[in-house]
Amino acid sequence: MKKLPLHTKIVIGLVLGTIWAFASSYLGWNEFTIDWIDPFGTIFIRLLKFIAVPLVLFSIINGISGLSDVSSLGRLGAKTVSAYMITTFLAIGVGLLFVNVVKPGSHIDDTQRIKNRLSYEIWLQDNNMGLSQDGQSFLSDPEYSKYLTDAQAEREMSEEERHNLEDKMAKAEETKDSSPLKFVVDMVPENIILSISNNQLMLQVIFFAIFFGVTIVLLPKNTVAPVVAFVESVNSVFLKMVDIVMKAAPFFVFALLAGVVAKMADTPSEVFEIFLGLGSYSLTLLGGLFFVIFIMYPLILKLLVKGFSYKDFFKKMSPAQFLAFSTSSSAATLPVTMECVEKGLGVPKKISSFVLPIGATVNMDGTSLHQAVAVIFMAQLHFIDLTIGQQLTIVLTASLASIGAAAVPSAGLIMMIVVLQSVGLNPAWVAIIFPVDRFLDMCRTVTNVTGDATVATLIAKSEGELHTEN
Amino acid sequence: MALGLGFGMLCIQFPSMSGFTIDYIKPIGTIFIRGLKMIAVPLVLASLIIGVANIGDISKLTRMGGKTLLIFIVTTIISITIGLSIVAIVKPGHKLPEATRTNLMELYNSNAAGKIDFAEQVKTRGPLQPLVDMVPDNIFMAATNNGAMLQVVFFAIIIGIAMLHVPKETNAPVIAFFNGFNDIIIKVVGFIMLIAPYGVFALIASLMIEIAGDDPSKAWELLYALLWYSMTVIGGMLVMMLVVYPLLLKSFTKINVLDFFKGMRPAMLLGFSTSSSTATLPVTMERVEKHLGVSEEVSSFVLPLGATINMNGTSLYQGVSAIFIAQALGLDLSLSSQLMIVLTATLAAVGTAGVPGAGLVMLVIVLEAVGIPAAGIALIMAPERILDMVRTMINISGDATVSVVVAATENAIDEEVLKEHVND
Repeated sequence: MKKLPLHTKIVIGLVLGTIWAFASSYLGWNEFTIDWIDPFGTIFIRLLKFIAVPLVLFSIINGISGLSDVSSLGRLGAKTVSAYMITTFLAIGVGLLFVNVVKPGSHIDDTQRIKNRLSYEIWLQDNNMGLSQDGQSFLSDPEYSKYLTDAQAEREMSEEERHNLEDKMAKAEETKDSSPLKFVVDMVPENIILSISNNQLMLQVIFFAIFFGVTIVLLPKNTVAPVVAFVESVNSVFLKMVDIVMKAAPFFVFALLAGVVAKMADTPSEVFEIFLGLGSYSLTLLGGLFFVIFIMYPLILKLLVKGFSYKDFFKKMSPAQFLAFSTSSSAATLPVTMECVEKGLGVPKKISSFVLPIGATVNMDGTSLHQAVAVIFMAQLHFIDLTIGQQLTIVLTASLASIGAAAVPSAGLIMMIVVLQSVGLNPAWVAIIFPVDRFLDMCRTVTNVTGDATVATLIAKSEGELHTEN
Repeated sequence: MALGLGFGMLCIQFPSMSGFTIDYIKPIGTIFIRGLKMIAVPLVLASLIIGVANIGDISKLTRMGGKTLLIFIVTTIISITIGLSIVAIVKPGHKLPEATRTNLMELYNSNAAGKIDFAEQVKTRGPLQPLVDMVPDNIFMAATNNGAMLQVVFFAIIIGIAMLHVPKETNAPVIAFFNGFNDIIIKVVGFIMLIAPYGVFALIASLMIEIAGDDPSKAWELLYALLWYSMTVIGGMLVMMLVVYPLLLKSFTKINVLDFFKGMRPAMLLGFSTSSSTATLPVTMERVEKHLGVSEEVSSFVLPLGATINMNGTSLYQGVSAIFIAQALGLDLSLSSQLMIVLTATLAAVGTAGVPGAGLVMLVIVLEAVGIPAAGIALIMAPERILDMVRTMINISGDATVSVVVAATENAIDEEVLKEHVND
């Protein structure tokens, strides 16, 4: 057991966790699993998260204060942001391609779709929103009138669903009503200790750390030496903590997976049912995500980095990827991503410590791909034909939304509401994809983390500082 | 600043630009304010710890040091109190018409009602509540809240004092760390100040638009209120200069008040034009030594210290500004909030005065401590430059007064020099 590499052990934990979950639900042990095993998964995520903030703070300060020349930082920043934007756009493009080719929303029978369409138009009327995006009106068409009563009946939502939705809608409302420069304003912390105390304000911590690091470079060496020494040693302490936590990762991953599956449903057949219902959608999305992970990123790297080894990349990145899968939080995975990228891919610390924390908060390739696929899937489901132009509007909104979404699980759903509203669709539809979201979130996070690592490698390469030998 | 005013006026004339300004120019101002807030806690923490550790050294060294510090603190408290009373009498903030004030109140705190409730609640508490509130029950919690700045100040002072009582070799790494940290923070303040002109421009332009809407006369009303505010600040400073300092000189020294001002005139004028007590320091020292006859031993100790920690004009200005903003926003401040302003302004002045541009950060600290929205400083930005000049003059006169008083009580005034050169 000792000889096995870490990622193999994590995979074993992952598989065992899933098996355990299915076995326990089959045997009716779900309660035991949730009460006694799931907490360890939560502990694991909490451990990683508490390390993430100090690690981001100290590693950025440490990385930047090691730069000899601050002007290179501006170039690095511009490169990082544009690389993230390009990969995000590419990912969305992949998503659009998949969803238009597979058309997952049109696989259910037409009667249901017409009913959906009619209830959508009723919703539009209720909210005085005019005609739908494609300019047609099924309501005024006598051919469809026989479905009308059915459609009205189906509009009733359960009380719980409505409550859940209103909550999210309120949050989405706040996001929408702000100046376009709001996210820049929000980057500047009002109180740095407050930002540190809130994981959702990571971007503010990054801002402060960069600012602080730059200032260190500009001051004479002898005044700042004690601060640099302090930051450096604290940073290495936190890195060591990541190592220690990761030793137990296989066990924790087992607990996480067992908990996730057990919470999803009571019996194995229910789990299968959930996936069957949304099967075509989930498969399309998974196809898109896997395409991005296993074809798009390696292709980019292959084209731009000489001597890139496909097998090596995934072997070195796998601990971070499996972790991303089981925690579904890029922030929690960040400490491990940093280690994999530095030690495995040979990206120097000063670049990784700058690029990766920013990536964990702003770069969401998987999330924006998901937004594109999901929105268009829902439109298809409701018999709404969107032109390429309208789809592009969705793409733009989605990518802006992905920048705004904090690095926390399921923030994507809130942003989805914003996207739906901005294109005049009914935001209540997110309820359709709720059931499978937790699982798809896991896969999206893997894409996000792999994307971060890819960009970090590219930036290091373009700075001529990639050391692939180790 | 003038640009911001002009631009704001222009936008009022062309309503279509207003939306653009609010969306794309206002954020710059907001970023500036947030930057100031961000740096407030680290600045207070680092500079106070270092400041106390250094001051403690001084006061342990000499009896003169203790005396000087005491007089500095007393004059600072007097000046703030004068500022607070004069602003309470003149009420420059009430020169704004009621409608504009309500407008402003809505602008800066959507939950004004909640704030007023809070103020009511504060009123019912005892006057010593600020002292109780000064003691933090969890230092990190206090540091996450800009409103609890006084608790951070308290903690920093305690740490500073504790550091003096620990053997040198034990606390050396801590002092070295905080020294470096302090230098970095001061540099960061410098960077934030680089965007100050743009920030101020954005703040004023958006303020004009938000207040005035499309009615230019409202903007003039604001300028009128600002005029009253400036007069109040200058009035308060005149009281310091013409009443407090002469009284101090009369009761502790034999020096003629008129002679004192004659002798100090060049330094005061230079202070007025440079608006920097540090830049004026050489001249101040020369005048005090060669023309007022204060011994070099006293002046070379008191004046440099005064240039950094004694800022009577600045603290008076902060008291007046805080109350003016509160008045303009329609907030009533209770006695205990006013006491809080005195405490915060004094301690913040002692702690951070050596930092260039710290004045603004300090004002933000004071405002946050009593729960006035910090964005309100946009109101007082317009006359800031002129008032800065006047308050430097007061700072310098204050330093000189203290040096003469200390010298007189130490019997270190050379009467010969005073008689011969005072009129040069």
